[in-house]
Amino acid sequence: MIIVIDGLNQDAFSDVLEDVFRLRKRVFHDRLGWEVTVTNGMEYDRFDALYPAHVVSLDDEGNVVGCMRLLQTTGPHMLSDVFSAILDGEPPIRSSTVWEATRFCVDMNRLKSGRGRNTISYVTSEVMIGAFEYGMAAGITDAVAVIDPVMDRVLKRGGNAPCGYLGTPKPMGKVTALAALMDVTPERVAAIRNYAGIHHDVFVDEDSLRKQRAMAA
Amino acid sequence: MDLIDLSTVPGTDDSFLRFINELCQEFELDHASYATVNPVSGSVQGYANYPEGWRMHYMRHQLHRFDPALHVAVRSIAPVDWSRFQRDEKFDLVFRPANEYGIRPQGMTVPVRGPYGDCGLLSVTRDCDDAEWALLRKKIMTPLQGAAVHLHDAVMQSNVLTRALYLPALSSREREILQWIAAGKTQQDVADILTISARTVEVHLRSAREKLGALTTPQAVGRAIGLGLIQPG
Repeated sequence: MIIVIDGLNQDAFSDVLEDVFRLRKRVFHDRLGWEVTVTNGMEYDRFDALYPAHVVSLDDEGNVVGCMRLLQTTGPHMLSDVFSAILDGEPPIRSSTVWEATRFCVDMNRLKSGRGRNTISYVTSEVMIGAFEYGMAAGITDAVAVIDPVMDRVLKRGGNAPCGYLGTPKPMGKVTALAALMDVTPERVAAIRNYAGIHHDVFVDEDSLRKQRAMAA
Repeated sequence: MDLIDLSTVPGTDDSFLRFINELCQEFELDHASYATVNPVSGSVQGYANYPEGWRMHYMRHQLHRFDPALHVAVRSIAPVDWSRFQRDEKFDLVFRPANEYGIRPQGMTVPVRGPYGDCGLLSVTRDCDDAEWALLRKKIMTPLQGAAVHLHDAVMQSNVLTRALYLPALSSREREILQWIAAGKTQQDVADILTISARTVEVHLRSAREKLGALTTPQAVGRAIGLGLIQPG
């Protein structure tokens, strides 16, 4: 299930957000070897202070198993400075209806390979469905995502092939980083849903999640 | 779109107010307002077509200090429906008196973020039932986002200090695509010439249009020629 955490509800779900930052530390610092700042076992940067939207996938036990961070391209975002190497020094896209997706990752330790629930493939699809449906409701038409080649292959296999790339792939830590363009359309969401076999509403009811977590604590 | 192109008229209070009025016409809205804190001068700039009585009340009681449309919506990247606002004391301070002037809390605020930490907030209202509101939202969301950024950029450029920062920086891809469009090629032609997808051409073109402050592609081509970014077709 998916919850979108933004500046309006981040206080109510601060524990979930901290788990997001812990997952990101394990993926981007430990596994991919990116030059990211780690604080108290968590990876967060100045863009997280700008009230981005975090699309978060939780498993049935309430563990954070996947996430993605969304920012408007009209304002400060990663491709405009941190990842500018990917764009070969060119100015980034700036559009009212294009969002940037960064820090897209899933929990490889907790998830299995193959298909079906609790797999890497399922959670990847679920995060993408959540992000695209959230974007469509906001009038967004396209997204530019900073991803690595493994994620690129997962997307292509999952009915979610990028419609183009910006700039050129650049080495980053132990992998290569690339900027992929994806249209944010009902057709793309339908293709991902069809591939993953996800036909239900992916969004969790915030009130019930809040109560559920309060009881567990 | 029938909105006035703010890049073609001097950035004055009159033109911003006219834009807000036309936006309400175009998108079937009752009222709209725009506010920003200028990052350079620190001054608050706002335009609204609410009834005069409400505008006076809002100013007299300095409700911008409490208005969740300003303080809460700024923490989102997506337009914020007012139903998401907590019904707290600050909400009541603004929306209870608003109700007396016939303004109901059926609306949303589009947050715009500019490149220099600048932020603009375009709020729109429509008094109708929930189902009609949901339909309207769906219909206008994409063009409303475009209109909000267009207005915000125009307001930023009306200030001498921020204007210099807001010069359009087109990528070579965006220039290349505008150049082919200026030569009379269709978007599909351009996609074939550059061996990229038509959707990628569309994204670059929209980005170029918005950077140039233009609402249409011909306007963007004209502007890019005027600025010497591309050659006349």
